[in-house]
Amino acid sequence: MKQTPGEQQLEIRFRPGQITKSGFMGDDTRHIHDIIEADGKVLERFGLKKADIADRLTLFMDEGKKELEGKVDLGEYVVQVHWARGLMPCPFGEPGLHPKVVVHVFSKASRQEIRYSQLSVHMIRKHGFWGGKGSVFRLEPIDVIRLLKMGGNGE
Amino acid sequence: MISNILLTVALLCGINGLLALFLIIAERFFLNYGPCTITVNESKTVRVPGGSSLLSTLNNEKIFLPSACGGRGTCGTCKCRITQGAGPLLPTEMPLLTQKEIADQIRLACQVKVKRDLSIRIPEALFSIKEFKAQVTLIKDLTYDIKLIRFKILGDDEILFKPGQYVQLQSVSYDDVKESVSRAYSIASSSDEKKSIDLMIRLVPEGICTTWVHQYLSEGDEVRFTGPMGDFCLCEGTGEIIMVAGGSGMAPIVSFLRYLIQTKSKRKVTYFFGAVTKKDLFYLDEMKRFEKEMVDFTFIPALSQPEPDDQWDGETGLITVPMKKYIQQIDTETCQAYLCGSPGMIKACVQILNENGVTSDRIFYDPFA
Repeated sequence: MKQTPGEQQLEIRFRPGQITKSGFMGDDTRHIHDIIEADGKVLERFGLKKADIADRLTLFMDEGKKELEGKVDLGEYVVQVHWARGLMPCPFGEPGLHPKVVVHVFSKASRQEIRYSQLSVHMIRKHGFWGGKGSVFRLEPIDVIRLLKMGGNGE
Repeated sequence: MISNILLTVALLCGINGLLALFLIIAERFFLNYGPCTITVNESKTVRVPGGSSLLSTLNNEKIFLPSACGGRGTCGTCKCRITQGAGPLLPTEMPLLTQKEIADQIRLACQVKVKRDLSIRIPEALFSIKEFKAQVTLIKDLTYDIKLIRFKILGDDEILFKPGQYVQLQSVSYDDVKESVSRAYSIASSSDEKKSIDLMIRLVPEGICTTWVHQYLSEGDEVRFTGPMGDFCLCEGTGEIIMVAGGSGMAPIVSFLRYLIQTKSKRKVTYFFGAVTKKDLFYLDEMKRFEKEMVDFTFIPALSQPEPDDQWDGETGLITVPMKKYIQQIDTETCQAYLCGSPGMIKACVQILNENGVTSDRIFYDPFA
């Protein structure tokens, strides 16, 4: 499919070495908009909106930040936040920079962990983008929904 | 019928192709802006080829404006005043400029293209920023994710910096990373050393520059950096100095301490270093040496979550805990505080300092932002 110059720029910003070392696409060959659409359908199945997920991820991140890199026991979950120096732009190109914050959320019940960045939360909330498959900070919507016990019976 | 449709499609494709060709030719031959003159601060004039962004054009002239996003128009740190020739404000600039800035002719240097003669105003301090070519002479693990890197400046150049300032290190192409990026790192070495600098660099997951430093950079490699930059510096005063920093935030603090030793300062200094477990601690021998060399220096490390194997008998809890305990016992009227770390840590420290009599005009910080 022919891309507009704007879309070409967008695609470039998602490549390795533009904003992050490995980029945001992993080994996913789908178009960014197709990835967004497919992940959006998973949320729809569970009756969830992207803001619901982003709010929950933000909550964990904010709790983790309070402990300045130490582990925070939130009962069912353990959260740890790493905050590195510097800021990064969103690959979608809107103005603004995001702190280099990485969050680990560990579920004591399922023994599963998800890892995401502050930028991931922004991209989910604003663009519905969870990362290309195989990318370092890709979150599988279904894994997040299960781990955070969100949504109804969409299985 | 089908042949008509195919003919129409072919005709449209042909017209599109011709238009695209015309645009390419037009860009190649008609958008040649020729040489332009940039007048800086009404005193310095440079003759440059037109067509590139003001930011990159100035960089080529060895005038380095700060830029955190590499000219992508998202950070707003390359703002400068353009009094003539900037052309109309661009939609890409507007979200990053306030109404007052727009009224004051402030523009984003990365977005403004040099198409005609320009007059700009920038802080005089930016003229002292230089590009250096250096060789890596030492790479040393400080912790599992922080390295100390020593760079020897090549040629006749010397770096003149104030303790607390930083440089922007330029990575080179590696692996899938095809383009160079610049990242800011505080200088950890003594400011009387003019032929080399030390940086403390923590590995950032997916970080382009830190991955290059940690996994690809070797002793003997040649690199480039620009600097010095920043205004996180030691201020005049006679009162006690409180320092708070953890991880690679230690870099500017070490430079401060070296300066205080070098100037034989008699000021009392207490440095609170926050870490999670013992494996995050480093430079303990150096801190002991500083305690011996300085008139009145105390290093107080605190572990927020020591492991049982750490056998830790020092301070525990967040770094704000021992800092608060200490500050409540001293006279804070002339006390100054220097902080380097995450915005969360800085916010917590500033609150405690304010509550205990250290006014904001005596608190200086370098947030990880």
